[in-house]
Amino acid sequence: MVTNVTNLSRSGLYDWMAQRVSAVVLAAYFIFLIGYLVAHPGLEYATWHALFSHNAMRIFSLLALVALAAHTWVGMWTIATDYLTPMALGKSATVVRFLFQAVCGIAMFAYFVWGVQILWGI
Amino acid sequence: MLYALDLSLDSEEGFASVKAGLTSPLAKFVIWALLSALLYHLVAGVRHLIMDSGIGETLEGGKLGSKIVIAVSLVVIVLAGVWIW
Repeated sequence: MVTNVTNLSRSGLYDWMAQRVSAVVLAAYFIFLIGYLVAHPGLEYATWHALFSHNAMRIFSLLALVALAAHTWVGMWTIATDYLTPMALGKSATVVRFLFQAVCGIAMFAYFVWGVQILWGI
Repeated sequence: MLYALDLSLDSEEGFASVKAGLTSPLAKFVIWALLSALLYHLVAGVRHLIMDSGIGETLEGGKLGSKIVIAVSLVVIVLAGVWIW
């Protein structure tokens, strides 16, 4: 089975670390955003726009976007290599798994580019 | 979600249309469902980090931990529902 070649870093230990570091970044970003929305019930466009125009927020958002891409890749890779196996799918498993991973990769890349456009387009 | 972010930051009208769109019961339910999945993932992820640091790694600890995850998740999911409606 060709599975190791498709993981994020070629090293399980590094993937493990990347998953956890990105998880902490995403948790911080998510909790910050939810906290912000809870603290601003009648949110206006100007306030919302000002938040995302702030350079610190752009850096934080971009960091979260990178973390999301890495976290998603490690997670989907784990699911794909756990379940899309020859034991479950027979001979075509490698092709199916590779296609699945390609779709995940393209989707994440598209989300990343789109996210950058949103952050720097305003 | 990205489309909503894009639209809400694009212009005053875009922001207003996202805000208006999120008032429908169906939109609220979808947001709540997405938020519930994310909150459960968050709580279960925090449990993983705690277990990585060596706490709750026994069989009993694992069983207790999973119950705590379900209980905490239920509480925050209900709170999220209260916040949305």
